[in-house]
Amino acid sequence: MTRKLLGALFLVSLAGCAAVAKVETGDQAIGERMALRLEGAWNHVNAPGMGPAQVWTMEGLPVDQLLLYSGIKDGALIHPGGPAGGARKSFAFRSSMQPDEIVAMFEGMLTRDGSSFRLVKLEPTAFGGRGFRFEYSLVRKVDNVQHAGIGYATVSKGELFALLYFAPRIEFFPRHRGRVESIARTIQIKN
Amino acid sequence: MATKITAVLIAWLALAFAAPAWAQSKNLAPGFTTLPKGAKVAIMPTDIELFSISAGGVLEPKADWTETASQHFRAALLRKKTSLGLSAVELAEKDADDVAELNALHGAIARAIAIHHFGPLGLPTKDGKLDWSLGESVRAIKKVTGADYALFSWMRDSYASGERAAMMIGLALFGIGVGGGAQVGYASLVDLHNGRVLWFNRLARASGDLREAEKADETLDALLSEFPATK
Amino acid sequence: MNRRRFLAAGAGCSACLVAELAAAQDWQAPARFARPELASDEGGLWALMDREETRLRRSPFALRDPQLHTHVQDMACRLAGEHCPDVRVHLVRTPYFNASMAPNGMLQVWTGLLLRVDNEAQLAAVLGHEIGHYLARHSVERLRDAKSRSAFGQFLGLFGIAGAVGQLGLIASMFAYGREHESEADRIGAILMRKAGYDAGEAAKIWENLLLEIKARPEGLSNSPLFARHPAPDDRMEALASLAAGMPGGVANDAAWRERTKPFLRDWLNDEIKRGQHEESLALLTRMMLRSPSMPEYAYARGEVYRLRAGDGDLDSAIADFKAAAAIGGEPAETHRGLGMIYRLRKQPAEARSGLQRYLELAPQAPDFAMMKTYLEELPQ
Repeated sequence: MTRKLLGALFLVSLAGCAAVAKVETGDQAIGERMALRLEGAWNHVNAPGMGPAQVWTMEGLPVDQLLLYSGIKDGALIHPGGPAGGARKSFAFRSSMQPDEIVAMFEGMLTRDGSSFRLVKLEPTAFGGRGFRFEYSLVRKVDNVQHAGIGYATVSKGELFALLYFAPRIEFFPRHRGRVESIARTIQIKN
Repeated sequence: MATKITAVLIAWLALAFAAPAWAQSKNLAPGFTTLPKGAKVAIMPTDIELFSISAGGVLEPKADWTETASQHFRAALLRKKTSLGLSAVELAEKDADDVAELNALHGAIARAIAIHHFGPLGLPTKDGKLDWSLGESVRAIKKVTGADYALFSWMRDSYASGERAAMMIGLALFGIGVGGGAQVGYASLVDLHNGRVLWFNRLARASGDLREAEKADETLDALLSEFPATK
Repeated sequence: MNRRRFLAAGAGCSACLVAELAAAQDWQAPARFARPELASDEGGLWALMDREETRLRRSPFALRDPQLHTHVQDMACRLAGEHCPDVRVHLVRTPYFNASMAPNGMLQVWTGLLLRVDNEAQLAAVLGHEIGHYLARHSVERLRDAKSRSAFGQFLGLFGIAGAVGQLGLIASMFAYGREHESEADRIGAILMRKAGYDAGEAAKIWENLLLEIKARPEGLSNSPLFARHPAPDDRMEALASLAAGMPGGVANDAAWRERTKPFLRDWLNDEIKRGQHEESLALLTRMMLRSPSMPEYAYARGEVYRLRAGDGDLDSAIADFKAAAAIGGEPAETHRGLGMIYRLRKQPAEARSGLQRYLELAPQAPDFAMMKTYLEELPQ
């Protein structure tokens, strides 16, 4: 979570626009085409300007984040847009992207703030049909916290559907990873 | 950058402070109320930084203030542990190097608690409880210090410099309020057996002064005001 | 003073330089610095740097390899002479050209710099330059100046504090101070490196090399704000070349440096590729391929940048570089993955199969092994 985003989040929460909603056990729809099933509730942090992913958390945004991408279209940015003339590179999804390119795109997004990313594993998996999963480690620049991460993605009818989760490698990732993997197994993408 | 993060954090925590008074248990983990007398507490190196605010609003770190404040803070902590009947052990620099990852992790959890437990973005799954744990990984600290608990603390404080104070007064005459400075901080007590955050308190206010011993005591008292009693 | 004017009058400007060099070589290092009073502004800066140094020491971004660290520390020590006990080197894994020395003796060197210097002499030039700033106490002067201009945050950013990576840009360390300070640090650095036995002629080459990268940027040289405010690199290159001419001799240690950094090369090249600044990377890697034609790592890396950029003609350039790397031998396994991926994209299954198979053979432990195996299996017969 970048400091800027935290700051922006604060401002909107002050204005009453931000809230945390409980996502209950059971079937959940994410966007128009993606559905999943939860065992145990999650927290959905909702604020304008946080898109295009939905951001969920168990322990709080500075600790762990589950990013849910549903129906990202060709050419769309996968992160909140920066201020005009921002020096940081932007990352957009292209329908023609192969799995390794999608991973590189997420890697770029996660390292925009100087954090460092290392791919640990990339393999095909059944995710919403034919998809892939990847495991990675991330050292966050702003506070040196070392994270472990897991991601799932697939492209269906030219649109990107993905789950990304990361949490500190000590204690928190091991604690929640199983639930994320379970969620991934239940993902369904409608035509 | 220091300006930005402090400003944001002050604002966050100020909001928390302005929220309706919570029951005492907001600072305590469920089921935890007191420390056993004679319990050993490891004092983690306090992360303190004091700033002067120049007339232009730029935050400048002041090493001598910070040094003094660190000393006052330590002294006040040690006084507190005596009054509570606890024994304290300070973490040596070298040992702090070895547990750097845990320290960094705690920092992230403290931010999460400040934002989501005391702030307006409560996490429904936590059900309003102080329910965070670093897990058994904290035993590394226990091993190195022999302590049963660890006390972490973090403090950022800024004071208007002479020029800024003059400007404040001048602007006040015109009815314009300009921030003079703010004090933000937190302290947390972690169980070194299972990693649970047992107690957490945050401070966010526009007053307080860590540069002088008496006033520093007041700040410490405010920060440790809800510290669990010993039995 | 009279002698100099006499020389200048009689023999034109080159004599001015000679006289200046003579004066420069009279430069004496000051005695070791005592820790300043805490309450002074310098003391404040010192204490801040101490805290930052502690954070750096504990950071996962610190490069802790004992041999490399000892080597660079030893170099800094020899350059610093009497001040050796006060200088502490920290290597940081960050893919940008930067080295900075704080007034408390903390000397940071980023891996982007270690990647770019051709030899020990060039590294010594940069270390010497930074030690020059330290010995001449420029940072304290700059602090006082910055305070009055409310640019303190920017100043802190020079020492790697409170600033995002890349904010400093490619060459911030060479532009961090004003014209006079930079010239003075250049002079001191050249003297120190020559005294330590290095060829001072290598100092100007760093500039040449960096300029190649900057000029390759789409926006080029003219729009760089750094060049607007600071002495033009041409002036500095000339000055350094003149200084070196007055102090011939010394070693560069190309081969020794190459050996010493070989274990890290693939990681550093990968970090460079991942910066995503394709034009700069291409300029850098082209230079390195010319300099070290027998090292397949550079050919692979340039091929990979072409492949990722995928502009007009880039894929063909990538294929050429990958094949060149393979021809040299000892090439990274990813060379064949790169070839496989391009041929797969171009729907040339036979060539794709060959590339991917070779990759899987060479790198059975690769993180993306399973994915590449699937690509291989899915190729049409």
